[in-house]
Amino acid sequence: MAASEDKGECINMLKVIAACGSGMGSSQIIKMKLEKVFKKLGYQAEIYHTNVGDAKSQANNYDVVFCSESLVGTFNGTRATVIGLKNLLSEAEMTEKIEAANLPK
Amino acid sequence: MEILLSVWEFFQNNILTKPAFFIGFIVFAGYALLGKKWYECLAGFIKGTVGYMILNVASGGLVGNFRPVLAGLKDRFELSAAVIDPYFGQAAAQASVENIGRSFSMMMMVLLIAFTMNILLVLFRKYTKIRTLFITGHVMVQQSSTALWLVLFCFPGLQDPQVVVMLGILLGTYWAVASNLTVEPVAKLTEGGGFATGHQQMFGIFLVSKIAKKIGDPKNSLENLKLPGFLSIFNENMVATGVLMTIFFGTIITILGPDLMHQIDKGFGAKQNFGFYILEKSLNFAVYLTILQLGVRTFVSELTNSFQGISEKLLPGSVPAVDCAATYGFGHPNAVTFGFLFGAFGQFLAIMGLIVFDSPILIISGFVPLFFDNATFAVFANRLGGIRAAAIIPFCSGIIQVLGGGFAAYHFTTGNFGGWHGNFDWDAVWPFIGVIMENLQYIGVAAVVLILLAIPQIIYRMNKDTYFVIAEDFDKYKEIMAKKQGVPVDQVVID
Repeated sequence: MAASEDKGECINMLKVIAACGSGMGSSQIIKMKLEKVFKKLGYQAEIYHTNVGDAKSQANNYDVVFCSESLVGTFNGTRATVIGLKNLLSEAEMTEKIEAANLPK
Repeated sequence: MEILLSVWEFFQNNILTKPAFFIGFIVFAGYALLGKKWYECLAGFIKGTVGYMILNVASGGLVGNFRPVLAGLKDRFELSAAVIDPYFGQAAAQASVENIGRSFSMMMMVLLIAFTMNILLVLFRKYTKIRTLFITGHVMVQQSSTALWLVLFCFPGLQDPQVVVMLGILLGTYWAVASNLTVEPVAKLTEGGGFATGHQQMFGIFLVSKIAKKIGDPKNSLENLKLPGFLSIFNENMVATGVLMTIFFGTIITILGPDLMHQIDKGFGAKQNFGFYILEKSLNFAVYLTILQLGVRTFVSELTNSFQGISEKLLPGSVPAVDCAATYGFGHPNAVTFGFLFGAFGQFLAIMGLIVFDSPILIISGFVPLFFDNATFAVFANRLGGIRAAAIIPFCSGIIQVLGGGFAAYHFTTGNFGGWHGNFDWDAVWPFIGVIMENLQYIGVAAVVLILLAIPQIIYRMNKDTYFVIAEDFDKYKEIMAKKQGVPVDQVVID
């Protein structure tokens, strides 16, 4: 019962995946920063993190992919919105790019 | 009293000395303290425990897959061998610790004490001059593992509590001091990106930031270079490991020959083609590495989350020290590939040197040091010394990685289980720390801690006016520098 209370009757849960080369360090940092930014912007988001190979094969199951700018090319041809970051820790850059991408709330 | 004692004994036998449950327990306790709901605590416990169990399966597999090759090398050439890679190193360290009958749970306690030590050093930054908190969880696990073996190797008679406390202090000091060294280079590269590097080549980054401009000219940058497209496949860990392992183990197993391999490896079927046997054997390493990373990722993400929370709550104004890959966005993509390539040249040359000069140990290149260390060095080197520095520095680093790693794997005997940590600081700094500990014992440990603690003091005294500013407010730092150079802010030279 408590569980459904927590999530509420959410209409649109954004599915997000953060990716980096090995899926260990950088993607986790992106994920932690994104959690804050999405909350601040009023999105309901579920965020996972993994390596590029894995993310590429699953990207179609997600709404948005976040990765370092240099890896954006890897995700050519996926349906998900791919957002490349220069500074993986910059909340300002994330906010700006999320707003520019016009994601559904 | 008796009941209390038996409760403690039960706890010790079933949780404390069983790393899987111990990690689960820590995550559970941490979440409970953070006031999370009971089912979230339970989920954390399961993820922590299962994550470690996955890791265990993988490190066993990694060492086991290597064993016949090691036996063959011993049999034919009286050689031992080690892959220089933090995951192989971690597996070999775990095997070494368990081989002498000690509990690998200590690794986790070392990690927690070292992290606490780092927090204390930042908390008292007024005196310690430490600005950074190391929060790269998977690296902390790897380094705690290798360092734990080093201490057990140097102090075989020391009891568990003393081991974890002493090493916790030593490793925590290294984390704090070494990541603190990267504040200036990273701030200058990222123009105040708000982070430092907490990884495996922090002394290396500092060194590069000092020597790169002497080696080349930043005007000859590698941005105009066209690199062959096939290099992009190395963006993926699994592919890169598969390729590297097939090259190295393919060569080794071919030299050992099918007859010998049939004798020592029961996994080599009578009807199996030798080429496909080699391929299977080599790709198995990619399999176990992938599983190992999944295991580490599973329990480390629980840890890192709470570390990040701690650093933001407890230590406002401190700089998080994170994975070295966070700097890549600030260098040209070519730099990353370039560093990897020249690091590989350096490593291959040094490995040939080992063979020519009859070294008792053979080194096999691992992907993580080859790529992550040298790519990082190239990013920093290119900014300050252009294409020349971005080639020469990773090349030299590759040579150091092989020679330092070879020495360490042989001397500290992790070569018996086929691995050594292998990243730059663990080839260039930690072998020295190990030898000092081995020869001077407690005095050596104390000396190392004191020398490490002196480093931030020296750097602070050299740049008193900008030391904290550069970490907190980069624009203000630029203003100060412009004033010093007597130019407007937009013409200030930061190197």
